[in-house]
Amino acid sequence: MSDQAHVPASHDLAPGDEEQHSVGARIVGYVVGLALALLLTATSFFIAGTDLVWQPSIPVALIVLAIAQMGVHLVFFLHITTGPDNTNNVLALAFGLLVVFLVVGGTVWIMGHLNANMPPMDQIMKTRM
Amino acid sequence: MLGKLDWSAIPFDQPIPLIAGAIVLVAILAVLIWVVVKGHLPYLWHEWITSVDHKRIGVMYILLASVMLLRGGSDAIMMRVQQAIAYQSNGFLPPEHYNQIFSAHGTIMIFFVAMPFVIGLMNLIVPLQLGVRDVAFPTLNSVGFWLTATGALLVNLSLVIGEFARTGWLAFPPLSGLSYSPGVGVDYYAWSLQISGVGTLVAGINLVTTVLKLRTKGMNYLRMPMFCWTTLASNLLIVAAFPILTATLAMLLLDRYLGFHFFTNEAGGNVMMFMNLIWAWGHPEVYILVLPAFGIFSEVVSTFSGKALFGYRSMVLATMAICVISFMVWLHHFFTMGAGPDVNAIFGIASMIIAVPTGVKIYNWLFTMYGGRIRFATPMLWAVGFMVTFIIGGLTGVLVAVPPADFMLHNSMFLVAHFHNVIIGGVLFGAFAGFEYWFPKAFGFRLDERWGKLAFWFTFLGFYVTFLPLYIAGMLGMTRRLQHYDVAAWRPWMFIAAFGMLILSIGVICQIMQLVVSIRNREALRDRTGDPWDGRSLEWATSSPPPVFNFAFHPDVRGEDAYWDMKSRAQQQSLEHEAPEYQDIEMPRNSPTGFICAFFATIMGFALIWHIWWMVILGGIGAFATFVVFAWRDHDEYVIPAAEVARIDRVNLEERRSLVSMAGAL
Repeated sequence: MSDQAHVPASHDLAPGDEEQHSVGARIVGYVVGLALALLLTATSFFIAGTDLVWQPSIPVALIVLAIAQMGVHLVFFLHITTGPDNTNNVLALAFGLLVVFLVVGGTVWIMGHLNANMPPMDQIMKTRM
Repeated sequence: MLGKLDWSAIPFDQPIPLIAGAIVLVAILAVLIWVVVKGHLPYLWHEWITSVDHKRIGVMYILLASVMLLRGGSDAIMMRVQQAIAYQSNGFLPPEHYNQIFSAHGTIMIFFVAMPFVIGLMNLIVPLQLGVRDVAFPTLNSVGFWLTATGALLVNLSLVIGEFARTGWLAFPPLSGLSYSPGVGVDYYAWSLQISGVGTLVAGINLVTTVLKLRTKGMNYLRMPMFCWTTLASNLLIVAAFPILTATLAMLLLDRYLGFHFFTNEAGGNVMMFMNLIWAWGHPEVYILVLPAFGIFSEVVSTFSGKALFGYRSMVLATMAICVISFMVWLHHFFTMGAGPDVNAIFGIASMIIAVPTGVKIYNWLFTMYGGRIRFATPMLWAVGFMVTFIIGGLTGVLVAVPPADFMLHNSMFLVAHFHNVIIGGVLFGAFAGFEYWFPKAFGFRLDERWGKLAFWFTFLGFYVTFLPLYIAGMLGMTRRLQHYDVAAWRPWMFIAAFGMLILSIGVICQIMQLVVSIRNREALRDRTGDPWDGRSLEWATSSPPPVFNFAFHPDVRGEDAYWDMKSRAQQQSLEHEAPEYQDIEMPRNSPTGFICAFFATIMGFALIWHIWWMVILGGIGAFATFVVFAWRDHDEYVIPAAEVARIDRVNLEERRSLVSMAGAL
């Protein structure tokens, strides 16, 4: 089915396909990504155990670091970029994020209300005692 | 050695499933013996079972759906008869059997009739409409089909070995938990859905990739036929929603097999989480089913009105809007279960909003018909019947989207009538329209119009006679899933509904007759031009049935309604490709991977249901080994030489030329 790629190959990449870069440039990309990922991981472990920062901010800091980690993975390893050849990948990612946001957010919201309106039996018993 | 399996699994004391099972077994054996004796086995194996041709796989999907429609339909007949006679009596079905029947009816109709029917039509037609030679992942496609067939097989196996779930089609815990359903019924349900769910996911990935990545020259997104758009939207929903179903059922299975407490009443489990998750899949699922049907109606209405689709871009927008909003409405399935006014209001409003893009579509179809030269061939009858029926179903849907009204109607026969109204009126009518419309493309001859119209009218009338009484029974307070009842006021409506079922069954018989009569008269009904309906999209640009490579040349698309455009140009100029230069075509090789994978998946599923652990391991290893063998293959394509392509294509071209010159002479 090789003759079906009518759009020039450089503008129509499947996820995981590489653009035509030299080997050196690609290795540099991966090394930078690896370094950033390791740095973020190390920072997370460090923050979790330290008392250098205000304690209640630690969960927020970990979430920020985790999101940054995702970003590093997307850009350096999964090659999600803003180039025109990447529209499908970016749209797929956006659609996935939207669905995850709707389902997870909706679930948290719904279950919260359900729990508030209909607490489990043992809690009802406790409030009645 | 055999886990929970012993002779008590066979229901010797229940004549109905035993006799039904015996008849099916004898029928299957008879067909098998006939196939072997007549020497058709090599043909079946090489041309169908191992085929990775999207058209063949599509046909097999539709065949599976049709067979399962008969099974689900017999369940429906039994339920209608039971409710007609079970007034102050037990009827003819004992409660535990009746519960299995309504559970099996819902499960089969959604997962093994509606799903394979629409996926089959998408497989069959979308690559043709896009002007390409195959789907993105041909062998994966075959795996997907055979895994779906595995699920169907397991569900049917439960008829004679063990039992099916008695929990309704979504198996809500705690009823489906181990303490209230200790038998194998829920395990049959869950494992067959897990296995066929993998098949559906695979089909979804394949079709999304096909639409996004394989389109012929000039086929921009906004030149794609509407059916391709709805296929894209529906399969995006499959890819996004089916993992939720898999995860939810996996948690239920962990509860049942390994003593987890996701959905139990003790140890911190929460049954409402199951309710929430299953409907987060369940609502997109109804749009997965109905969106392709909308696409089919768009094609049919525009072809038989002789006009381009009215408001093509608004239709695209409406489709994609439904695709997103379908993920924002799932709570309306459990308004009454305590989420409170804030949550209910938001989800109620979202449910009403999703009716807007659907309404846009209805108006677009009406305006497509307006001023057109309408031909009321059978597919068009189904389309018009759909519009009337679906509007009624949609309106009752908006009614139950109002939370206070839903508190009155929840779980009543009104609801049963509503969702049959939209699923039969929407999905099933769409599937039948697509079946009638594309049958000539798949097999090279048209279906008999007289029997087709009879089938339509009986089904259409039968539908109303069956389901309008259920609306009324629901208003009179009848709840769903009643094995017997004591309220005299409901009884007349149950009688009428049972009578309606009789009319519906005549419709089904007409459809079977149509197939028989058409196959007998196939020479008279032969479609030599490849374009029996004066079609507008590219599937009609090739012969009927299409050659294995679909198109000798990739069609060059210059606008919407690609084939209509080509035909109008061809009538002015001489036909293009006067002396075309044919080239070799590479096509994917057939592969038994799908069939063997599904064979081992069946063994594994059956063993998991009956706790036969050594067999589980055997099945798992077998399926994995099949995958490894396929992954290590050396050659996966074969070449059709240019001379062969030329020979096949010239026949088609001659027929087409004579058609165009005839039209020119007129």
